Amino acid sequence: MAHRWGMAIDLDRCTGCEACVAACHAENNIATVNADQAAKGRTMHWIHVERYWEGEFPNIRARFQPVLCQQCDAAPCEPVCPTYASYHNPEGLNAQVYNRCIGTRYCANACPYSVRYFNWFNPAWDKPLQLQLNPDVSVREVGVMEKCTFCNQRILAAEIKAKAENRELQDGEVKPACVQSCPPTAMVFGDLNDANSQVSRMAGSVRATILLEEVGTLPKVIYLERESSHGNE
Amino acid sequence: MERRTFLNFTILSGAALALEGCGNPGTQLVRFIPEEDLVPGVAVLKPSVCAMCSAGCGIQVRVMEGEAEVVRNGQFGIVKMGLAKKLAGNPEHPVSRGKLCARGEAGLQVAYNPDRIQHPLKRSGQRGSGKFTQVSWDEAIEELLTHLRPLASAHESKSIAFLTRPQRGQRAVLIERFLSGFDGAAWVRFEFFDDGVLRKANQLSFGYEQLPTVDLGHSGYVTSFGADFLGTWNSPVAQSAGYGKMRQNRSGVRGKFVQVESRVSQTGANADEWVAAHPGTEGLLALGIAHVILKEKLAHAETAGAAGALIEGWREGLPASSPEAIAWKTGVPPETITRLAREMAARSPAVAIVGGAPLAQTNGLFTALAVNALNALLGSVGKPGGLEFTPEAPLPAAKAGRDNSGEGKSGSVRALAQQILSGQPRPVEALLLHEANPVFATPLGWRVKEALEKVPFIASFGSFLDETSRLADLILPDHSFLESWVDDVPESGTTQSVVSVAPPAMRPLYDTRSLPDVLLDLGHRLGGHISEVLPWKSYEEMLQATLAPLAHHDGSIKTKDGGEFWNKIQEQGGWWSAEATAAPKAKAAASHFNAMKYQEAEFAGSAGEYPFYFLPYASQLFYDGRHANLPWMQEIPEVLSTGMWGTWVEINPRAAATLQIEQGDLVEVASPHGKVRAPVLLSPGIAPDLIAIPVGQGHEEYGRYASGRGANPIKVLAPQVEPTTGALAWAGTRVSITKVGKGELILLSGGPTQWSQEKIAR
Ligand code: SF4
Ligand code: SF4
Ligand code: SF4
Repeated sequence: MAHRWGMAIDLDRCTGCEACVAACHAENNIATVNADQAAKGRTMHWIHVERYWEGEFPNIRARFQPVLCQQCDAAPCEPVCPTYASYHNPEGLNAQVYNRCIGTRYCANACPYSVRYFNWFNPAWDKPLQLQLNPDVSVREVGVMEKCTFCNQRILAAEIKAKAENRELQDGEVKPACVQSCPPTAMVFGDLNDANSQVSRMAGSVRATILLEEVGTLPKVIYLERESSHGNE
Repeated sequence: MERRTFLNFTILSGAALALEGCGNPGTQLVRFIPEEDLVPGVAVLKPSVCAMCSAGCGIQVRVMEGEAEVVRNGQFGIVKMGLAKKLAGNPEHPVSRGKLCARGEAGLQVAYNPDRIQHPLKRSGQRGSGKFTQVSWDEAIEELLTHLRPLASAHESKSIAFLTRPQRGQRAVLIERFLSGFDGAAWVRFEFFDDGVLRKANQLSFGYEQLPTVDLGHSGYVTSFGADFLGTWNSPVAQSAGYGKMRQNRSGVRGKFVQVESRVSQTGANADEWVAAHPGTEGLLALGIAHVILKEKLAHAETAGAAGALIEGWREGLPASSPEAIAWKTGVPPETITRLAREMAARSPAVAIVGGAPLAQTNGLFTALAVNALNALLGSVGKPGGLEFTPEAPLPAAKAGRDNSGEGKSGSVRALAQQILSGQPRPVEALLLHEANPVFATPLGWRVKEALEKVPFIASFGSFLDETSRLADLILPDHSFLESWVDDVPESGTTQSVVSVAPPAMRPLYDTRSLPDVLLDLGHRLGGHISEVLPWKSYEEMLQATLAPLAHHDGSIKTKDGGEFWNKIQEQGGWWSAEATAAPKAKAAASHFNAMKYQEAEFAGSAGEYPFYFLPYASQLFYDGRHANLPWMQEIPEVLSTGMWGTWVEINPRAAATLQIEQGDLVEVASPHGKVRAPVLLSPGIAPDLIAIPVGQGHEEYGRYASGRGANPIKVLAPQVEPTTGALAWAGTRVSITKVGKGELILLSGGPTQWSQEKIAR
């Protein structure tokens, strides 16, 4: 059976530590812009952590929610692309073909989660920072849209390795960079087609939610709601 | 050191000069013969140790072949070599267990930082002018020796000081032995976010002068007094792993977490209950909780043993600390105190943690002792779900290099400045410097810069020019940690005894040398006592010799054969024992210590003129400022503010409204000791009588990404100290705030939006 890759993020474990964000930058050759461009909203964090304040001092708390491409099954970013740069790959991932992209940015407008990022300039690395670049991931150029790929390069590498060893992929064998780093193990990645995978089991939790269900995007990122412990339970 | 370097005289020209602009004066680049045999496109995972904070997480470096511009034997050229591409936690390592924090991920940008010093430098302009000229290693070593030789001779009345960050493991042993060749040498290990107060308290309460390991994963109830244990404090990766398990790992059990602090930290944001106690009263709150537990006979006073005996009135049930009596001082309602006490007693194992701002007060030691006593009363010390202490490494005592009494201290640098300025007990003739940056990270009142400027000779081994190293006369740049032999003995974060060690993950890019190797070389040349206590030719040789005894202890490596053991320990990235729990040492060191009673924290600045408490807090991304030169850390949004590339002043919206201050206004924050300017960020998570600024920005000099950016709140601080340990009381200053114009905040999120989150229909 084909894989259907999905991610579960347990918001009761997520601490807002930003390790996933740093790991994603390192793995995926995401360029930093600079202060001026950041002020214009042109940073390219494929994953970022939303913070919501609740209440007022002193009865205040903040909640965190890491937001990345939700890998929608019905992805609004796809039909709007005139060049099919934003497309559905055979494993159900929303992929971006950089050399088809002509930079209309229709997809970014269509994405209800605002997780697509446009290269306003050719990315540049002050020497020798280019040595950090991961050879498994292509570097984008000006005028191209980019976003989270579920670390497709890691998925492919694991699939090839399993095939070479003539075996099935193990649950938990594929770990996107964010999942790998996450210190409290809030993030879990795996095959939603495998009912026994950890991600499938988490998707079946009573705490399981998805973002903006009403827009009908059928995301493959599942959030487990944060709980609260009050009083002497 | 002897690297076999061959030159292959293929001169690249024309198209290949797409690589120009590398600072090479010539127009032709030499291509060196590859130094290692790597399969292109295939990654090798090599163990190492994270050097980004003191936790000592074991890491795994993903190395792949690539082309780099390097310096070999003084010659600039291109080489195919193994390059670090990604850092991750080492899954086998007892501290990190395969995980890594954001700062750890950015270790790559230390190695590949464009502002790294690439070869030895000698000052050519005025001291502090930042003007240097390139010299060879031979010249640099000779120059250094001319300053060290006279001081190494017996009965020299002048001496040297070595100023570093905290060091552990064999590096610490090496530095100590090196300095033993100089009469009266001072080794100053500087750390701004000084945990010395807690170490001292733990020694008094439990007999361990070290930071605790918190077994969060098995805890039923966690109360943290100010400790940012999921962000920057102690061993954040290990603690985060435990936290995840505490929340969602045991069926039907979800540990409760209460945070006590006056500004919501990244850690506090995750609390089920957030308790705002006034700064400096956290210890009193701990006593109030203990009072209820004792009064309601939820535990016996004797349970707390030596830790309880340190608190005046403990046996009598802390009569002066009833919830009603302390409510007005702490700002916490009596009902809350009573309820917290009952919950803690009922939901065992319950554990209390203390760290950060509450200990950075003039009464910090008392606060730590009070929380320790509460912990002991809850029966959490040395028990699953409670506080434990990482067992020592089974290396001959002083040789383990975990001499905690010498761990990072802020006050030690003040003593050094005083010694330099007064010339007493003996003048400091030469200063050796490695990475510590006290000119940036001490209050102006300690006069550190002025003192260092007076030292006749300063040699720096650091990789970057910063506010302190720019005062150097000579720079002998270290390798980055990814290019070095690394070793460490973690102080906390595991109940296994751990000795981490790993060979360089990649070859050095530049004409740099590792500090331990330079010290060994200097030792040989100086001869006499130093060369006797440091007989090794290289640091690798030293590590192999000093760690060999580990082969005879039960642990992660099952061979007693010396050579095989040495191979295995490098492969694993270290040696570790089975888990062991260290029980509190009965009576601890407390017997000669008088019981303490609560005294109010003293704040510098009158409340009338300076109406706000001031909190300079450890940045999630820059920690104490050392990571501000890394572009990833600049551009990743700090999670609570979503701020990037700058500094902000946090103020409660209601307090701001009364002062007619709005978001983005440029304000001046002033104390009797200094002032800074930065834009305002209205933050609902901060007490109305508190102003907070993250530490880390405001560098005058620290490479292209950090220099001249933002403001440094440390320069506002009063030179207050905790009297027993001399630690800087960095949370003990009061400030005023005045609007001076319009500023610019760079935030990721435009405002308080919220995704609608729908339960999956089923
Ligand atoms: S989250 Fe946005 S970018 Fe990702 S698949 Fe859905 S619409 Fe496309
Ligand atoms: S790494 Fe994990 S805990 Fe940290 S912000 Fe990301 S999801 Fe949350
Ligand atoms: S906590 Fe982070 S910075 Fe510190 S050693 Fe671990 S990974 Fe490195």
